[in-house]
Amino acid sequence: MKNRDITLHINGEECRLNVAVNRTLLEVLRDQLGMTETKYGCGTGECGACTVLLEDGKAINSCLTLAATMDGKRITTAAGLSDFGRVNHIQQAFIDEAAIQCGYCTPGMVLKTASLLATNRDPSDEEIRHALEGNICRCTGYEKIVKAVRKAARTMPAPAACGAETCTEVAQ
Amino acid sequence: MSSRILPDFELLLPQSVPEAVELLAAHRDRITVMAGGTDVMVAMKFAQSPAQLPDYLMSLEHVPGLAYVLFDPDKGLRIGAKATIAELLAQAEVKQHYRALWNAARTFATVQVRNTATVLGNLLRASPAGDCSCAIYAIGGTVALQGPAGRREVDIDDFWLSYGVTARRPDELAVELILPPPAAGSRCAFKRMTRTNEDLAKLNVAVRLEMAGNTCVDARLAMGCVAPTPLRLTKTETLLKGRELTAEVLQSVAASVPWEIDPIDDKRSTAEYRRQVSGVLLKRAIQEACGAA
Repeated sequence: MKNRDITLHINGEECRLNVAVNRTLLEVLRDQLGMTETKYGCGTGECGACTVLLEDGKAINSCLTLAATMDGKRITTAAGLSDFGRVNHIQQAFIDEAAIQCGYCTPGMVLKTASLLATNRDPSDEEIRHALEGNICRCTGYEKIVKAVRKAARTMPAPAACGAETCTEVAQ
Repeated sequence: MSSRILPDFELLLPQSVPEAVELLAAHRDRITVMAGGTDVMVAMKFAQSPAQLPDYLMSLEHVPGLAYVLFDPDKGLRIGAKATIAELLAQAEVKQHYRALWNAARTFATVQVRNTATVLGNLLRASPAGDCSCAIYAIGGTVALQGPAGRREVDIDDFWLSYGVTARRPDELAVELILPPPAAGSRCAFKRMTRTNEDLAKLNVAVRLEMAGNTCVDARLAMGCVAPTPLRLTKTETLLKGRELTAEVLQSVAASVPWEIDPIDDKRSTAEYRRQVSGVLLKRAIQEACGAA
């Protein structure tokens, strides 16, 4: 096949699409859907600018993923972290710590932070740096980004006394 | 330099292993198999000529039942063709019994790549720099290949033929990797050298030692980035077998490594540097394996 009808669930919204089989998920998000918060960096899975979260919060490089093989999958982009236009605690932490200069790596960085904090609510600096490997920032020297992740961990809403569904929302 | 845009191809999405094997038999050299795709996608974006490009790309996305990592204390570890590096890391038994592989997987590329790349894909890429490949070479094991005529198993010692070339025939699908069960007295370790952690290794090494007290009964030593494929250091192994691991023995073992490898200059290191550090890195891996005892 050269084209395929697929359904993606992007940030909770169902998208029915016909995609060329040689289009990456990144190209479909940016060019077909106009969701430019996911960035094109290297195109070879090294810089992390194109990071999206798959299903239950697994970070992947959308530049190395064929959209045609993603039928039925749930995908979270950086825009999906915010709630009706209000930034979430991770995005706020990046603003508060001035962890953004040019901003090109930021969508990938906040998504990687979300996937880290979903499994480790109180990461050490070493764990933060290990988790952020694969996301390159050419401006900040990473210190402020690590500070922002620490702050995001501190300000993370408590998952206490919630059902499984609510917890998933917190994780995203 | 390429445009980093994927060329045109036909996508095949088989629903089962037999269907995948049928497609392989039908298209043979014109087809590329993709599981995680972290290597295949980059190779296709960087292809220098149409001759390097497949007409068909077969994704295993819809083939069920290949994403397992199963441990049995008597039979060993079975890793399915679609099991990712991250799924391997999630298995406590891998950390406990196959420490060299676990350490290779832990430092393997980046989170995003570990979530997507498969263990078998690392073997099938047949790169001399593969971290999991190096660890698996030292541990030993067999790759199960499913072809039209049935299943056969290839010893990892016979799996890599040359750079980028494996014993897999064009009509065969690699379905699983089987590692031997852990033996009492068996110790293993993996070490790598890189500029930054997420970069490809400039040198990697893995050892598996069968120890009786401080005496090495048997040894498998594997080194990467020093030959066209991952390399077994068979001559150096003989210096270990039956010996007590004294400082002198370790010294002679380290001194033997540069004579057994054939590294090249490339953008990650020079042949001379690789030779200089190879023995030391192997010695440290042996010490780590024994220290973990």
